Amino acid sequence: SVSHSQITRLYSRFTSLDKGENGTLSREDFQRIPELAINPLGDRIINAFFPEGEDQVNFRGFMRTLAHFRPIEDNEKNKDQNGPEPLNSRSNKLHFAFRLYDLDKDDKISRDELLQVLRMMVGVNISDEQLGSIADRTIQEADQDGDSAISFAEFVKVLEKVDVEQKMSIRFLH
Amino acid sequence: EDKGEDESKEEDNGSQQNRASRRKNYQRKNRDGKKAREEGSQKKDRGKTAPTKDQKESENKEKKTTKRGKEGENKQKKDRKNSTSSASSNSSDEESLSEEELAMLKEQVEQKKKLISTMRNKPWRMVKKLSVLREAQDFVEKFEGALGKGKGKKLYAYKMMMAKKWVKFKRDFENFKTQCIPWEMKIKEVESHFGSSVASYFIFLRWMYGVNLVLFGLIFGLVIIPEVLMGMPYGSMPRKTVPRAEQATAMDFSVLWDFEGYIKYSALFYGYYNNQRTIGWLKYRLPMAYFMVGISVFGYSLMVVIRSMARNANESTADGDDDNFIFSWKMFTSWDYLIGNPETADNKFASITTSFKESIVDEQESNKDENIHLRRFLRVLANVLIICCLCGSGYLIYFVVKRSQTFSKMQNVGWYERNEVEIVMSLLGMFCPPLFETIAALENYHPRIGLKWQLGRIFALFLGNLYTFLLALMDDVNEKLAEEDVVKNITHWTLLGHHNSSAGNDSTVTPPPLDPADVPRGPCWETTVGIEFVRLTVSDILVTYITILVGDFIRACFVRFVNYCWCWDLEAGFPSYAEFDISGNVLGLIFNQGMIWMGSFYAPGLVGINVLRLLTSMYFQCWAVMSSNVPHERVFKASKSNNFYMGLLLLILFLSLLPVAYTIMSLPPSFDCGPFSGKKRMYDVIQETIELDFPLFVAKIFSYVANPGLIIPAILLMVLAIYYLNAVSEAYQRANAELKKKMQMQREEEKNKRNNKASTNPMLQDLEDLLTPSTKTESPPKQTEDKKIESPNGTSPVRKPGRGEVLDGSPMAGGRGAAFIPPSPVFVTQPRTLGVRAPYPGQPRPWGHPLGPVPGRGRGQPCY
Repeated sequence: SVSHSQITRLYSRFTSLDKGENGTLSREDFQRIPELAINPLGDRIINAFFPEGEDQVNFRGFMRTLAHFRPIEDNEKNKDQNGPEPLNSRSNKLHFAFRLYDLDKDDKISRDELLQVLRMMVGVNISDEQLGSIADRTIQEADQDGDSAISFAEFVKVLEKVDVEQKMSIRFLH
Repeated sequence: EDKGEDESKEEDNGSQQNRASRRKNYQRKNRDGKKAREEGSQKKDRGKTAPTKDQKESENKEKKTTKRGKEGENKQKKDRKNSTSSASSNSSDEESLSEEELAMLKEQVEQKKKLISTMRNKPWRMVKKLSVLREAQDFVEKFEGALGKGKGKKLYAYKMMMAKKWVKFKRDFENFKTQCIPWEMKIKEVESHFGSSVASYFIFLRWMYGVNLVLFGLIFGLVIIPEVLMGMPYGSMPRKTVPRAEQATAMDFSVLWDFEGYIKYSALFYGYYNNQRTIGWLKYRLPMAYFMVGISVFGYSLMVVIRSMARNANESTADGDDDNFIFSWKMFTSWDYLIGNPETADNKFASITTSFKESIVDEQESNKDENIHLRRFLRVLANVLIICCLCGSGYLIYFVVKRSQTFSKMQNVGWYERNEVEIVMSLLGMFCPPLFETIAALENYHPRIGLKWQLGRIFALFLGNLYTFLLALMDDVNEKLAEEDVVKNITHWTLLGHHNSSAGNDSTVTPPPLDPADVPRGPCWETTVGIEFVRLTVSDILVTYITILVGDFIRACFVRFVNYCWCWDLEAGFPSYAEFDISGNVLGLIFNQGMIWMGSFYAPGLVGINVLRLLTSMYFQCWAVMSSNVPHERVFKASKSNNFYMGLLLLILFLSLLPVAYTIMSLPPSFDCGPFSGKKRMYDVIQETIELDFPLFVAKIFSYVANPGLIIPAILLMVLAIYYLNAVSEAYQRANAELKKKMQMQREEEKNKRNNKASTNPMLQDLEDLLTPSTKTESPPKQTEDKKIESPNGTSPVRKPGRGEVLDGSPMAGGRGAAFIPPSPVFVTQPRTLGVRAPYPGQPRPWGHPLGPVPGRGRGQPCY
């Protein structure tokens, strides 16, 4: 679902990132992208590019992950839910985001995981106690089944009104 | 009927499905990227082998799960690679397939067209009809062109291209627009470090700058520039010439600094203007223009303030709801993935931190629960204290003003006596605000509300300032008016004497005109008032800037650098860094604007000075705040609408309108200076214009309209209209609140339902039941009991009898009577125990459904 020109553009980007010139990217290559180096969740996003246990990614894998970030175009929006889901669909975007927070892959965002993210985002400017209360508050808001963790369904519910299509889009290519 | 609807829905789904896959293929056909081809053919395969909906769904599920699995595991990825390669090997028969697809697409278009033509006969609801119709039309429009050969296709391609270009253009334009908003980046930077409350001051400053620019344009474009271009030049007449006695020092800096000398006799002040009815070859009616501009300055300001107040009010009601997930949203969506610049990233970090802090403050405030009586007592006490302070300072001002009036009549008064009023005023202004702040600590309001109180109180104090100033000015004016009468006679006699003397010498020769610098002239109270306002404004600017420089910058430098060699920690200890004083700055801005409004009639150049001031203070204060201030201890979020600032501004506007209107309506203009000289009252210029420049009947109409018999009923009518509209808006507000409550309850209900669905395990349910009273202390255990008793009734998920019916036990409630209940709107599906179960609509966590069968999903769509 990515157009030809987009692929060529991406490919040139891929090769320019590929300092080792072996057709694959390593983590260090990704770290060199300023957007990712700055992002508090940058490491996790980079991890999302790498399949489990590998530290190289080829162009195909690169593309597959990036496809999550492709903006949803107008003509795709009203496609019905049952169709084969493209990678950049809303739910896939959400799932991608969810996995960024869910470190231990138990399909739940726990309090500790939230705290980690919070520390990355606000650093030392807010006391630990307050961070804890923020995390508690977040879970309290989102939690619906009372297991004091946020499941994917709850995550989706929380972000129901947020324009994820916009937030998780990178305007690469046009 | 229902059934038919369902069927059609299914059909629709099916067709949409096909359409989606068709479209995919079409897109694929247009492209020639290898990857796209692979994916497309894959999708096509899926689409083809899906004749019925059920099959398809199951298949999709399968696909989804496999896909999810693949993403994690490596081995399966290879599988997928294989499959994709096989798909690409299949691409040889792609052509024929796409032909087939094309035919199907054509068929689809035909079908849609048919649907459009037969839409009228379908037994659907209007809403559905409309939406289906729109969809079908879109579809036909989109693909009809694509199907056609040659021209149609080209047109279609062209259309698509243009659409894309248009989207891009729109995005660029949006970016451009944001860039065009002046100082947007600066303000955002301040906001990210200091929170929205400080930013709200800068936004207010920017808004003020915009308003002043318009005023500047009005006054300069319609009064000053025409006068400079077409009016009589400097030195041509007495009012445009520096008097002989002052000429020696007229260019000295100290004189110019006091706005005397050449500045006083320039187009910046009222006195310079001539009372000639028309000037220049354009026959520009300058006095008329002067008067109209003076009025329209007020008119425009009033309009703009009220309009922006109304807009703010609209905005604040527009997106006020949905604060269920504040923290979650902040947590999950605050980072902007497009940030690539380290500096921006720093700002973003700061702004995330600030916004978290703001939410914490809000949260603490809403969770506060303590002795309410003590709190009330303290608040009353604080208000009493502050009223005492205000009364005291009011009396002090009054007393000092009275004393100064007696002093002014005496000779040989000392420096202190002469400047007593100013000294007292500035002392009050220095010590009262901190005092108020200390007292306000008793009240322990949320800082946002505290700021409003603080603003209001200082405002009241400053009004005293204004009052003394105006009083002094009025005295001055009265004095000048008395003096003027004397001078008028002298001038008259001088001119006469000059004529006589020259006539006596030689009657045949016309007398040499008296040099304009030598003509004795009146005091011209209008210019005096104008100069007074200009001086006040300039000194205010200087004081503000010096305060910022000394109080913020030098202090910050001291704290920062002397800290290395000092006994205690300066940064954390006593002096520390200054906080940005929002209330003081806002009030300073507002009062300054009041001065401008009052003064601009008598000193048209004042607005120019103000524009410069606002412009420089934007940069200066932004720099100062970023370089030498620290964020507030409790960063708080500004209210969405800064209508409070606007309200104060409106009040000041009204207050400053009064003296100007009074002078225009009831004081005679000076006889030898200004555009209205020679008239009895300034507004006579309108009558004159109407009489001389308009046909007779206009004058007649005007005189009728000005009749009190017409004006009083008009005012009455307006009052009645205001009353009526007010009543209507109140009713709307009530309805709005009601609806909001309903929506919230409904949401709560949905939550409950889903909760029940989730916990199907009876063991878990029991556990939850046990936990409920302990986790939610607000819910008395009695309610849970009630629930248990009533719950067996509430089994039917969709058509429940309404709550009221059960409560009064009418015969309609059971049996066949239920059939009379109209098709239920969504909120009927809520259980009858609603009132008991959810006493607090805002409660974040629902309780588990206690016992009995699990209710179904209701009519809502499954959410996941």
